[in-house]
Amino acid sequence: MGQEFVLLVSASIFCVGAAGFMIRKNPLIMFMSVELMLNSVNFLLIAYSSFLNSLDGQIFALFIMTVAAAEVVVGLAIILTIFRTRHDMDVDHIDTLKG
Amino acid sequence: MFASSWLILLFPLLGFIGLSWYGNRISRKLVGFVGCGTVGASFFMTLVTLSNLLFLQPEERVGQVQTLYQWISAGSFKLNLAILVDPLSVFMFLIVTGVGFVIHVYSVGYMHDDPEYSRFFAYLNLFIFSMLVLVAAADFFFLIVGWALVGLASYLLIGFWREKASAVLAARKAFVMNVIGDVGMVIAALVIFETFGTLSFVDVFASAPDQFRPNDDAMLLITMLLLVGAFAKSAQLPLHTWLPDAMEGPTPVSALIHAATMVTAGVYLIARCHVLYELAPYTMYFIAGVGIITAIFAGSMAMVQYDIKRVIAYSTMSQLGYMFLAMGIGVYSLGMFHLMTHAFFKALLFMAAGSVIHSLDGEQDLRKMGGLQKVMPLTHATFLIGALALAGFPLTSGYFSKEAIILSSYHAEMGNIVFWAIAVLTAGMTAFYIFRVYLFTFFGKLRSPEAHPHESPMIMVAPLLVLAALALLGGVLGPWVDSFLAPVFGHVAHPHDNALETIALIAGIGGIATAGLLYMVSKQRLDLFKEALAPLYDLLLHKYYVDEIYDYLIVRPTKAIGAFLEQKAEREGVDFTVDQVGLQIKEVSHVISLWQSGKVRSYALNMIVGVVTILMFVVFM
Repeated sequence: MGQEFVLLVSASIFCVGAAGFMIRKNPLIMFMSVELMLNSVNFLLIAYSSFLNSLDGQIFALFIMTVAAAEVVVGLAIILTIFRTRHDMDVDHIDTLKG
Repeated sequence: MFASSWLILLFPLLGFIGLSWYGNRISRKLVGFVGCGTVGASFFMTLVTLSNLLFLQPEERVGQVQTLYQWISAGSFKLNLAILVDPLSVFMFLIVTGVGFVIHVYSVGYMHDDPEYSRFFAYLNLFIFSMLVLVAAADFFFLIVGWALVGLASYLLIGFWREKASAVLAARKAFVMNVIGDVGMVIAALVIFETFGTLSFVDVFASAPDQFRPNDDAMLLITMLLLVGAFAKSAQLPLHTWLPDAMEGPTPVSALIHAATMVTAGVYLIARCHVLYELAPYTMYFIAGVGIITAIFAGSMAMVQYDIKRVIAYSTMSQLGYMFLAMGIGVYSLGMFHLMTHAFFKALLFMAAGSVIHSLDGEQDLRKMGGLQKVMPLTHATFLIGALALAGFPLTSGYFSKEAIILSSYHAEMGNIVFWAIAVLTAGMTAFYIFRVYLFTFFGKLRSPEAHPHESPMIMVAPLLVLAALALLGGVLGPWVDSFLAPVFGHVAHPHDNALETIALIAGIGGIATAGLLYMVSKQRLDLFKEALAPLYDLLLHKYYVDEIYDYLIVRPTKAIGAFLEQKAEREGVDFTVDQVGLQIKEVSHVISLWQSGKVRSYALNMIVGVVTILMFVVFM
């Protein structure tokens, strides 16, 4: 497994995530896209940790997972509350902060 | 030697502070006692200082500066808290504290029923303190401090009856006029500091004669600027309009401030700075000219006024004109002598008039008085003495001082026949108007039937008697005043000219006789006379329309400019600009805010485009 392969896989997963985030209107799917992006980075970190014989990358990946979990908790709670009040899950309709 | 002279200033200050803090908590009797006592103590200290001064040789009496401590020391500039003890300042101390004390005692009776008794005495003490600061100052700085404090005290006392609209307006007018003078004084002090590098009287007067020749520009500038202050304070043309209005204050205030002491500050200033004025003969001529014109101008107005206090107020202006004439022709000690006798008889006249007003329950209109001769014998007698002294009747104090000035106006080096002629004419007018008041008030029948006049209480009459004695006999002090002030001014020549003296005397007695003829004999004759001189009478009654002229020349243009500026500069200039700045920023931000769509996905797009752009930049550039 060469470095190019790892980089290519990681970049394509990231692009899928980013595109998904921008294209989909359902906040849950958008969250999953965010997770894809984060995990593509995790993948890269772990791969390079083994290439460079250093544990730093793996520890960093653990941190990212923790933060992602926390973020999902808060995010899901917000989404739940919005759904309860608006009965609408389309993010394009949630534009109260429009200037 | 004069270390205790500070106490002269200290007592009235303590009185002011004490009465301001505790005045409402102590009994009225104690308030009166403190008010009078502090000034009395001050008078006593003045006598002590005077006796100390008299122990010295005449040539040692000048330039005694008593320094309390150094207040400011900045580079070459030093300012000491100091007083100047010399014959001139002690002379003024005597008048201020002496006449002031008598008037304080009178006020105890006059203000007896006033609810704000302690405030009145606090202000009176403040005034005495301020006047003493003015007179005691050893440099131009403290002179101006005193000058402004005196203006403040005058403002507070004119507007003492603060619920009376006319009194408040009069106080404001007086304050504005006085501030015009203050500005002149401050500029003068700055020019003096620029020219001499010091503000101390002693240093300035010592170096001026060596540094300048007569009529140098700097001297003319300084003397004219000082003169603005002197004219404003002493109600000389054209800054005189506040003095008649100042009669809205209680009568003791008129007697103390607007007759005996404060208005003479201008005369004192010129006397104090006579070294500078002698280096500016043009200014001297100007002073003499303005003085004599004010004298006749005010004297003529006094002839037709019906308010008893206003007549005396115009008379004060007129007599101040005489003093300025004396200063202008260089006979300073005669001017100071007239200042003293005037303080006696004018305070007396005001207080006697106050006694009349008091007994008629505040009536000031001459046409409603009359016949008080029998009801108020003491007031009548003292008023008569004051009137005789003012008219310059032989052997009264006014005779000696005024006659000497009139005679000098021709015989002094700078005198001429025009000054003399106008001075004599004014003397005739003076005699006429004061006896017109006298006859209106004390003869004939009482013209307001519902009034119950009565003689004033002893505490008011006693001061009248004291001042009457001084007004009657003060003339004998003439030679003493001359020799006492000689170390400051040098001796004045006393010319003798029987012809001119007789003419002046005849003018005075003629004035009295005319008043008698017009107001004693028949009413018809007076009416005929009035009709014949109707235009002139009208002009005088309206005080030469000076207030109206000021209204047209200054007040209305100022208001018009104000209205114009409010519309054009304020509304259409400043307000418009500020409003537009706000509105335009709002417009621009509205356009920019369209970017903030509120849509999460477009934000994400923006973010990714941004990151990609930065990455491209980093990688490829």
